[in-house]
Amino acid sequence: MEACPGGGQWLDAHYDPVACVNTFSSCVALADLSGDGENRLVVGDVGGSGGMKLKVFGGTALLSDSSLLDLPAGLAAFFMDLHEPRIPAVAVASGPSVYVYKNLRPYFKFTLPGSEVNVLEQDVWQQVREGHIDHVTLKEMLESIRKQADVPLSVRSLHFLSLDAAATDEFVQLHKQQPIRRQTVITCIATLKKSTADEDGVSCLVIGTESSDVYILDPEAFIILSKMSLPDAPSMMDVTGQFDVEFRITVACRNGNIYILRRDSDKPKYCIELSAHPVGLVRVGKNVVVGCMDESLQAFTQKGKKLWSVVLPAPVTTMASMDLPTRGFQAVLVGLANCEVHLYRDKNLLSTIKTPDAISSICFGRYGREDGTLIMTTKSGGLIVKILKRTAAFEDRDGAHGPPPAQSIRLNVPKKTKLYVDQTLRERDCGAAMHRAFQMDLSRLRLAATKAYVKALESSLTPMSSSLTEPLKMNAVVQGLGPSFKLTLNVQNTAACRPVMNLAISFLYDESLYRMRNPYMRIPLLVPGLVYPVETFVECTSDKGISDIIKVFVLHEGRSVPLLTAHINMPVSEGVTLN
Amino acid sequence: MGLFDKLAGWLGLKKEVNVLCLGLDNSGKTTIINQLKPSNAQAQDIVPTIGFSIEKFKTSSLSFTVFDMSGQGRYRNLWEHYYKEGQAIIFVIDSADKLRMVVAKEELDTLLNHPDIKHRRVPILFFANKMDVRDALSSVKVSQLLCLENIKDKPWHICATDALKGEGLQEGVDWLQDQIKTMRT
Ligand SMILES: Nc1nc2c(ncn2[C@@H]2O[C@H](COP(=O)(O)OP(=O)(O)OP(=O)(O)O)[C@@H](O)[C@H]2O)c(=O)[nH]1
Ligand SMILES: [Mg+2]
Repeated sequence: MEACPGGGQWLDAHYDPVACVNTFSSCVALADLSGDGENRLVVGDVGGSGGMKLKVFGGTALLSDSSLLDLPAGLAAFFMDLHEPRIPAVAVASGPSVYVYKNLRPYFKFTLPGSEVNVLEQDVWQQVREGHIDHVTLKEMLESIRKQADVPLSVRSLHFLSLDAAATDEFVQLHKQQPIRRQTVITCIATLKKSTADEDGVSCLVIGTESSDVYILDPEAFIILSKMSLPDAPSMMDVTGQFDVEFRITVACRNGNIYILRRDSDKPKYCIELSAHPVGLVRVGKNVVVGCMDESLQAFTQKGKKLWSVVLPAPVTTMASMDLPTRGFQAVLVGLANCEVHLYRDKNLLSTIKTPDAISSICFGRYGREDGTLIMTTKSGGLIVKILKRTAAFEDRDGAHGPPPAQSIRLNVPKKTKLYVDQTLRERDCGAAMHRAFQMDLSRLRLAATKAYVKALESSLTPMSSSLTEPLKMNAVVQGLGPSFKLTLNVQNTAACRPVMNLAISFLYDESLYRMRNPYMRIPLLVPGLVYPVETFVECTSDKGISDIIKVFVLHEGRSVPLLTAHINMPVSEGVTLN
Repeated sequence: MGLFDKLAGWLGLKKEVNVLCLGLDNSGKTTIINQLKPSNAQAQDIVPTIGFSIEKFKTSSLSFTVFDMSGQGRYRNLWEHYYKEGQAIIFVIDSADKLRMVVAKEELDTLLNHPDIKHRRVPILFFANKMDVRDALSSVKVSQLLCLENIKDKPWHICATDALKGEGLQEGVDWLQDQIKTMRT
C-alpha cells in the first residue's frame, strides 16, 4: 500500500477507454431515474465525434442516448413534484433555455426572458428595412454603437459585424424583417431544495447567466421566484440551504472573484478575491474549496476568510466533492493535468489515484447499488468507474509539514551511573592534565616502538630483508610432536626480476637441548617470486619438557652480517625418545 | 455408514448442518433459500434482509440450518462472526451485475483469507444467479472473474441459477449434500 497510495482503497469496477463521453463535471449527475433503487449516470455529452447527446449509463452499459439541440452548459437531476413513484427529472441548460426531461422524455422548456435592446441599434435596423441605408453604412453605424455600448448589441448585429463583405447582403436579406431580440445564455445551473431538506424534497433550479444574473425558478410553474445580480458573469456555482428558509449561493465569476449570495439580499453579501482564476469550486461543510489556475487549492470560510492553501503538482482540470454521510467522511477530489486525481481532506493529501489519461469530469456518489462510487471521464472520452472498498480507511498523511513521526518515539536511554557522573566531573575538572598525561604516554610509546625497530634493523632481526640487492622474505614452520621436529623454512626472493645466488642458512641453538642434522645449508639460486621450502630435522635431546628458541640466519657468502634473522619458538617435545 | 444414513433418513433423524449464505445485496440469497424450503413454508414477498435470518430446509439425508446474511454494505461486517459455526458456504452472485463483480470478488477474497475459514476444508457452493436476465454473464465467465480456479484447498462448485423459477438450485444442493457426507467420514 505504500507503493501505490490510494490504489489500495479502490476497486477497479469498469474502464472503457472508448466510451465516447466528452463532458465536464458540471454536466454529469447520478440519479435513480427508474425508481428501482439503482442510480444511473446522466451525462450531457458536449460531443466531439458524435454530436451533442444526453446519455444515460447503468452498470457498465449505455442505456440510452438522445440528441440535444444545443451545447449543454450544465445538467442537474431534481425532484420537481411530489408524484409517486419518486423519479427525478433531469434539467439540461443549453443556450438561453433549460430543457426538462421526465422519464427521459422532453417535458418542458423554459427560456430566459429577453434582455433590453439598444434603441439606436433598433433604429438602424428599422432604416435598413425601409431601405434608407446600405450595408456599408449599417456596418459603420453598428460599429460606433458597439463602441459606446451602454446596452450591448444583439447577437444578430454581432454576427453581421463578423461577416465578410460578400456574405453581408444575403444575411441582411434573410434577417431584416424579424425584430431584433437580445437573449442571454445560461452559464451554470444548480438545484436548491424548496422547503424541506429531505433527500427527495422538491427542488428549485438555480441558473447563472452570461448577463451576470442568478435566477431561482419555481419547480412546478417554472416562474422566476427570485433574481439576483452579480458584478460579473458566473462560471461555477454551489448552492446550499432551502429556498423558503435560508440559503447560500457561492458563485465563482469570470473576474476571478467568488461571491456569496444569501436569501435576504439580491446583491452579494461577501466577496473572496482569489490570487488566480478559479477552475473548480466545491463546498465542504460550511467551507469553500477552490482550485485555481496557479496550481493551488485554497479554502475559505463562508464569510470569505482564508483557511489554508496548498500547492498542487500540476494544473487542475476538474474538481468534485466526495461525500460519504454513512461514514461521516467528506473530502475533495481534484483532477490534475498530470493524469492523477488527488483526494484532499482539509489540506492533507489522503490518496492519489493514477488515471490512464487526464480527467475531464469527476462525480462521486451512489451508482447502481454502491454508495461509494467514483465516476470519471477522460479527455479522450473514456469512462472509469471505481468503487471504494468497504474496508477502506483514509489516514491523514500530512505531507512535508511538521516533525517526522520518528521524532516522537522515545529512545530507551539507560540511567546515568555514579561512575559515569564521577568520570564526567573529573574530566571537566582536570581536562588539561589528563590531556598532557595522555600525550606524554603516547610519545613514550612511539619512542619505544622506534627504538625496537632500529634495533631490529641494526641486527637484521627481521624476517624481511630490506637490502636492495637481496630482497628476501622468509617464514618458518615447525611440524611434529617431538622429540623429532621437521623445520621448514620458506624462502622467497621478492625482487622484480633479479635472481639471488650464493646464500646459505645457518642455525644457532642450545646444543644441550637440540641436535640438528645439518646446521648449515646452502640455498640454491632463488628465482624471483617463487617460494623455496628448505627443510631440516631437529631433535630434542632433553626429556625435561623444556623448549628454547632456535635462531635462523640467512647469510650471503663472504659476508658476516646476516641478511635475515628469524627466531623460532620451538614447541615442547611431547614424545619420548625411544633410545 | 450408507446403511445408517438410510436408516436415519427413514426414521426422520437427519444430520444437522449449518450453512452460511453469503453474497452482495440483491444477489438473490433470500429468494434462493425461499425456493429450497417446502412449498407450504415459502414466503410470498421477499424484502431485503436486515442483519440476517435463520431458515431451515431438508434434503434426502440432511437437515440444513441456513444463516441468510444481509448483503448490504453496512451489514457485511456481521458475516465473519458466523464463520466458525458454518460447515458449508453458499455464495450467491448476481451474474447480471457486472459492475459489482469486483466487489463480490473482494468480499470472497476477504472470506477466504479469514482465519476462521482459511485452514478449513469448507465446501463452497457458488450460485451464479439471475441467469434469466438478458446480458447476464455465464457461470464460466463468473468463475473467471472471481478467479475461482485459485481455490485449491477447498471443494467448490458453481452452477448457473434462476431463483425465481428455481432452476439450477437442485444440482447445487445435491453437490453440497455429497460434499458434506464425504466430509464426515
Ligand atoms: N430476474 C431475476 N431476479 C431475481 C433472481 N433471484 C432474485 N431475484 C430478484 O432480486 C431481488 C433481490 O433478491 P433477494 O433475495 O432479496 O436478494 P438478497 O441477496 O437476499 O439481498 P439482501 O437480503 O439485501 O442481501 C428480488 O427482487 C428478487 O426478485 C433471479 O434468478 N432472476
Ligand atoms: Mg436477503
